[in-house]
Amino acid sequence: MSKVKSFFKGIGSWFREFGEAVVKGDAFTRLSLLVMGAQNIRSKQVIRGIIMTVVEIIVILYTVLIGSGFIADLATLGTVERKVEFNMNTMKNEVNDYDHSFQILLFGIISVIILAAFVLFWINNMRNAYQLQKDREAGKHISSFKEDMVSLINEKFYKSLLFIPCAGVIVFTIVPLIVMIAVAFTNYDKTHLPPTQLLSWVGLDNFKNLFSNSISLTFGYTFRKILVWTLVWAFFATFTTYIGGILLSMLINNPKTKVKKLWRTLFIIAIAVPQFVTLLLVRNFFADSGIVNTICSNIGLTGFLRDVGILEAGMNYIPFLTDPVWAKVMIILINIWIGVPYLMLIATGVLMNIPGELTEAARIDGANKFQIFRKITMPYMLAVTGPYLVTQFVANINNFNVIYLLTQDVYTTTDQALANSSGKETDLLVTWLFRLTQEEYNYKMASVIGIMVFVICAIFTLLAFNRVTGNGKEEDFR
Amino acid sequence: MSENNTKTKQTAVSGTPASNATGQITQEQIARIKRMGKIKNAGGFAVRHIVLLFLAVVWLIPIAWLLLTSFSDYPGVNISHFFPEEYSLENYSKLFHPDTVAQFPRWFTNTLIIAIFSCIISSLIVLMTAYATSCMRFKGRKALMNVSVILNLFPGFLSMIAIYFILKTFNLTNSHIGLILVYSGSSALGYLIAKGFFDTVPVALREAAYLEGASEFTVFCKVVMPLSKPIIVYTVIDSFLKPWMDFIFARLILNSGVSKDWTVAIGLYNMLDRTLINKYFAQFCAGGVIVAIPISILFVIMQKFYVEGITGGSVKG
Repeated sequence: MSKVKSFFKGIGSWFREFGEAVVKGDAFTRLSLLVMGAQNIRSKQVIRGIIMTVVEIIVILYTVLIGSGFIADLATLGTVERKVEFNMNTMKNEVNDYDHSFQILLFGIISVIILAAFVLFWINNMRNAYQLQKDREAGKHISSFKEDMVSLINEKFYKSLLFIPCAGVIVFTIVPLIVMIAVAFTNYDKTHLPPTQLLSWVGLDNFKNLFSNSISLTFGYTFRKILVWTLVWAFFATFTTYIGGILLSMLINNPKTKVKKLWRTLFIIAIAVPQFVTLLLVRNFFADSGIVNTICSNIGLTGFLRDVGILEAGMNYIPFLTDPVWAKVMIILINIWIGVPYLMLIATGVLMNIPGELTEAARIDGANKFQIFRKITMPYMLAVTGPYLVTQFVANINNFNVIYLLTQDVYTTTDQALANSSGKETDLLVTWLFRLTQEEYNYKMASVIGIMVFVICAIFTLLAFNRVTGNGKEEDFR
Repeated sequence: MSENNTKTKQTAVSGTPASNATGQITQEQIARIKRMGKIKNAGGFAVRHIVLLFLAVVWLIPIAWLLLTSFSDYPGVNISHFFPEEYSLENYSKLFHPDTVAQFPRWFTNTLIIAIFSCIISSLIVLMTAYATSCMRFKGRKALMNVSVILNLFPGFLSMIAIYFILKTFNLTNSHIGLILVYSGSSALGYLIAKGFFDTVPVALREAAYLEGASEFTVFCKVVMPLSKPIIVYTVIDSFLKPWMDFIFARLILNSGVSKDWTVAIGLYNMLDRTLINKYFAQFCAGGVIVAIPISILFVIMQKFYVEGITGGSVKG
């Protein structure tokens, strides 16, 4: 709580300083409200003053000439629909001056962000101007432009370092995320595709759709089903590979095992082949008319399963990836195949770090191997890999590759309600989201699902980080 | 399941010496216990290695199938035999004589170019971000790191859809520049592993350099970087491998259907299209093998640092 308090305190004092600058500043400080570089120029920071003023002019010009139009249209997302008319005079098809709703949304948001950033920059400039005035009046040294430049590779080096990374994240993550979150409140779908059609704001309708059911709308049903499977999958995918990896690494690293390096390499080969190759391969391996099915029917396994009743009568193959239950089990098993070697690598690294005295002391006290495993090895592993386990769980909620590559074009659902909202039993929220955009152009629902995925991941991360890692450790890890 | 079995067997084997504690054991008994122990140990030894062998076989069957099929004479999916009837090198030679569907050499060079550029850009970005957040203290540092944690919780390609439209406005979709930007643009968010490593570089070294009058820039280039070879190798290989492994971003950005623009991943995926699979499956396998060889080598080099990276940050805790 104290953190939140100090955060708001910081913001408060920031604005107070701004007010103070306006009230108590001299003429040049106040002039900085209009011409941002005024105080700098007065204090002989001429180049800096000019740069500030030029930036100001550029932003104002952009806002007036381009930004304001987009920002104004943001309220309606455009009003003029695209029309193609045949012009008798030129004998050509002509397109009217239409509104491109998505561009309005995109550039409107970018303009708002630029404007907001500029306002912060402007307020900050006032604070600096006032500080500069005080320094000048007190006769303190005022840094020259050259000194400012030098400080960028010294005490302010972080600014030079972080400029490009932050710009990249803002352009390629933050702006797109804000745009997509905004899309969740519009009607962007198959029947409203810019540029030919206009978009409009629909408020919370899409969120209501996600939780409601009717004959034509099955998003509520599909969402519930897919959410449950996503969580089940994330749980099993995380823990099977985790436990499997630890057991495998204990098996390999046991002093009694010969040629440890060879064993380790054998398992690493399996994950060194790119995932999309192995997954696509395995998908053909287990196809309905694939090699595994041929072998199973040759050795009589298919017939046996049919006799026992696991397979329906009349099936002459095992539907490894085409039956909802079989497919889910197979996906988790194949994921074990993919994930265990990674965990084996990590566990090997951690197990080697367990202080020898700990296990030695336990052995002297008469603990058997199982007790040592349960009371020393596991707690140690959990403490060290706890944060990794949490990120792994979140990563599995978002595990696109395994599910998509194994089931796309292979698995077709027979559940009409699922098919209506283009979901499948084996879909995770993210693959559902992806296919909604790629096959159905249903961007509005995809955005809503994306937001839900974020909410779920955030809840798990918050809960788990507080549980798994001690408070002090968390500080250090982040 | 099989792993669990060995676990219990192991405990059973080690359970025997505990009976020593009861005392009053005759020589004969000791000898018998020793003999039993040896037999059981030998048994445990065999079981342990048989289990490992079994697991290794399970893990390598798909890889073996990949290799075998790549040398198969039959172009489609061989569904009746695990081992091909006839072996040939034709699939490999076909890969290097492109037709309209399979333009493997083009895909390979495309991916290589994309990988090299995005590797340079994103390695620099990651190392810069990691140094700033690890070795420097400034206002807003914690806030920045918290923001990065939050951003990492959003599914990656939710933003991809908007990025696609941004790139489209600048006419960068279906171009390799666009794909390079996508791979390296937000790479700063993956800075945590490198930061964990920089945290372990002793502060005293940097302080000594400051005392000598070195600038922060000099410390970054001449003190910290030379000490961080492992993490540099890791970052470089990791970002180099991304374009080779990635399938989904490439397909979103390069969606024109023009085969010669593709990367290896999209090209190989396309070979398994329902209409093509019977002609190209063996070629797909051959392509997979060719891509897998350099990647495996890099991966084996990298795996050492992979472990250090993930555990390193938290062990010190």
